[in-house]
Amino acid sequence: MANPRELDKRRKSIKNIRKITRTMELIATARFRKAMDRASAATAYTEQIMKLVKDLVSSGVSVEHPLLEPRSEVNNAALLVLSANRGFCGGFNGNVTRAGLNHLKSMKQEAEHVRVEVSGKRGISGFKQGRVEVDHQFTNFEDRPAYDDVELIANRYLAEYASGMLDRLDVVYTRFESAAKQHVTIETLLPLGGLGLGDAEPADASTTVYEFLPSPESILEEVVPTSFRVKLFKCFLDTAVSEQIARMVAMKGATENAGDLIKQLSMQYNRARQGRITSELMDLIGGVEALS
Amino acid sequence: MADPANNSTNMKLVVVTPEATVLDVTAEFLVVPLYDGELGIARNHAPMIGRLGFGELRYRNGGQTASYYVDGGFVQVQDNMVSVLTNRALAAEEIDAAAAEAQLSEAIASKTTNAQQMAIRERLMLQARAQKRMASKA
Repeated sequence: MANPRELDKRRKSIKNIRKITRTMELIATARFRKAMDRASAATAYTEQIMKLVKDLVSSGVSVEHPLLEPRSEVNNAALLVLSANRGFCGGFNGNVTRAGLNHLKSMKQEAEHVRVEVSGKRGISGFKQGRVEVDHQFTNFEDRPAYDDVELIANRYLAEYASGMLDRLDVVYTRFESAAKQHVTIETLLPLGGLGLGDAEPADASTTVYEFLPSPESILEEVVPTSFRVKLFKCFLDTAVSEQIARMVAMKGATENAGDLIKQLSMQYNRARQGRITSELMDLIGGVEALS
Repeated sequence: MADPANNSTNMKLVVVTPEATVLDVTAEFLVVPLYDGELGIARNHAPMIGRLGFGELRYRNGGQTASYYVDGGFVQVQDNMVSVLTNRALAAEEIDAAAAEAQLSEAIASKTTNAQQMAIRERLMLQARAQKRMASKA
């Protein structure tokens, strides 16, 4: 039978762990709400952009833009992997890193030079373990990625794409679909390959005729890069939301496990204590009997 | 189409940025900074899509005028509903004049070697000037 004091010590430490994991779960829940609000705010913007593009297309502008055309020869490609800065979130970082490493292999067969850029400390160390050199790393994105920061990155890609230093950009991130479902997604953001209209339904007869200032072409020229920036921003937002959900789930599991362990240890402890008392009593009784 | 307000002089103004919906109000009259100058919009304006520059967005509602700095983007007018899509929207009193000044002098001092850098520099200068202009007015 184990030493009751040892068992009690272990039980106490597990109780402490449970306190910590429960707190982390609560924090993750709060952050998830905030991140979620931001993500839905971004949706309002994307919807407006979509509407604008749709109206633009239905007014008879041919949607042509260098960002939309796939290049015949892909020499320089870039892979952007979005992970988290912190651990304690189950398989979140591992999944993204693994998908990124796998995708990197297939990209290397298609393009001559592939650059790797990673956001999040966990992903960076994951790639280091995989012996992959990381060209750019970002650790400034927490649970509330700022548009200004993402815009800087997006503008760099746009400039590189325009000058021919980049022919393709793939992003690996965790897509948020619902609170119960997020999965790792690989998306090609450059070239954009369409504005996400999904073969816009034929314009209905009641379409309003718009006046364009200065011209539809000039607006399109601006809309395309904007929608790229917003798409990239959405990837960052999705990652932030998914990270918090993953942490919530992981910490919930950990709290429950700790609870189970405590129950089991309590039982063992009580049994051990009882056993010790019984054996002490036996000793006592034995001693009394020997005396009489 | 539902009328945003049954009052016959009002229209709806929505300003969205990628981070948040900044404004969702009714307005009697508003002015947006287009790429080449300001444009006033009153009720029953013809449907329009325009490209925005950097500058001041003003709207009047119940005799009160509010003013915001918008950072490029688009404006769409349809059925007395004005939606403004922009990267950033700041209330006039939130503008940091000192930061704008710094951005301007930095942009002026920066050296450019190709067309792209020129464009960036131009953009930074326009942004900073528009912010300074608004800050000095406030």
